[in-house]
Amino acid sequence: MKTRSIEKVVKPGTPHFVGDGFRVHNFIPGTSTMQRMDPFIMLDYNSKYNFPPTDKPKGVGVHPHRGFETVTIAYKGRVEHGDSAGGGGIIGEGDVQWMTAASGVLHKEFHETEWSKTGGEFQMVQLWVNLPAKDKMSPPKYQAIANAEMAKVQLPENIGEIEVIAGEYEGNKGPASTFSPVNMFNVRLKKEAKTQLTFPAHYTTSILPVEGSVRVNEVTDVLQDHFILFANDGDTFTIEALEDTIVLVLSGEPLNEPIAAYGPFVMNTQEELVKAFQDFNTGKFGYLED
Amino acid sequence: MELHNFKKFLIEKGGLFEEDFFQIQSFIQTKKLSKSEFLLKQGDICSHFFFVEQGLLRMYALNEEGKENILQFATEGWIVSDRGSVYFQAPSTYYIDAVEDTLVVMLDEHFIDQVSKVNSSFRKQNEHLLQNHIRHLYKRISQLLGASAKNRYLNFVSMYPDIMLRVPQWMIASYLGITPESLSRVRKALAEENFKPHK
Repeated sequence: MKTRSIEKVVKPGTPHFVGDGFRVHNFIPGTSTMQRMDPFIMLDYNSKYNFPPTDKPKGVGVHPHRGFETVTIAYKGRVEHGDSAGGGGIIGEGDVQWMTAASGVLHKEFHETEWSKTGGEFQMVQLWVNLPAKDKMSPPKYQAIANAEMAKVQLPENIGEIEVIAGEYEGNKGPASTFSPVNMFNVRLKKEAKTQLTFPAHYTTSILPVEGSVRVNEVTDVLQDHFILFANDGDTFTIEALEDTIVLVLSGEPLNEPIAAYGPFVMNTQEELVKAFQDFNTGKFGYLED
Repeated sequence: MELHNFKKFLIEKGGLFEEDFFQIQSFIQTKKLSKSEFLLKQGDICSHFFFVEQGLLRMYALNEEGKENILQFATEGWIVSDRGSVYFQAPSTYYIDAVEDTLVVMLDEHFIDQVSKVNSSFRKQNEHLLQNHIRHLYKRISQLLGASAKNRYLNFVSMYPDIMLRVPQWMIASYLGITPESLSRVRKALAEENFKPHK
């Protein structure tokens, strides 16, 4: 085992709104490129934000995607999703929505109607995971992953637990099915608890403390809501909770394929991008009411 | 400032060579606009052609009821202007504003003169662009007079492939001269015709 050093710590930048329902700091590709973060091609983080009550749910109206998967991890608040492939559902605190856009869907996502009426604290991560070229045109799919379905591994001496959304932690597999090796965990640690995580050195690996600040690799203190990208010089790093914490851990094997991206389409070539626009404009993604 | 799109335009459509650039650089004027900011308002005399380096502009008129009728969108690499107002020095009846934050290259007679001095083919190329613009306007009038809503929509998206993702539906409906409901019906019918769900 060799220590994986920190490549950089990124503080959350000025937030912007996606639609009117997601107030996000962009970490990928804004501060680290799609190529560097392969297979993670987008990460928007809605840090804790209070939405006032409303009768008209806020969110993002109908828009297309092709060539990747969108993953929404709900920490606070509830969101409702619907897509042109018939997928849809509501996810709440602790749940994850994993939508495989693949060959193309139209979808919309809004704060859940009932939740909107009371409003409150909202905190989510939205991540795009790239698909291997051979799977980009596969059928769309939707996985609503309830928190109860996730593998939960208690850490020794009752210091916390690791929730496995995707991938595997010490033989415990997460419920999400993926097209390439991706590990996605929520590490919940009590104050002063410490744990270590090991992934193959060549995997793109990053963490985001969404609750509480942490000490990484014994020496680097990182505040809540800061994004930490690790170098590929080792396989193991440690996280120590400076207060009660929840840390999102992402580690995936790079696809190492060319990326041609424009807005909501991420393909391998320019020709495929042009085709994506044509198909979207001519109704080949289906139809979804606003 | 890089002005990648403007450079590409001058080479591909203006007949200039890479080496002409350092001579014309000092004549290039740019303007940054925030979303909703105006370049032209009704009653102004338009003094420039606006080349979109980055962003999106629209040109529209207000009808008697105050409703916007969009004549043209201009995305990266496009030029928009009230050419009549520029040429005749007459007050404009149109508005031009930014649909997104936009970087514009401001072109005027002086610029055209200066560039033509550097490379004489530019004036001829510029006239070619004007003729092309007139051809496009004929086509647009004929579409508005005779084409079905579906046909107008398909023509529009083939000309502006990414615009459905950049502007609200009501603006597209305004450009096409149809109601937003009618645009919605066209898109639904196209989906029924072309959407083949995976079995």
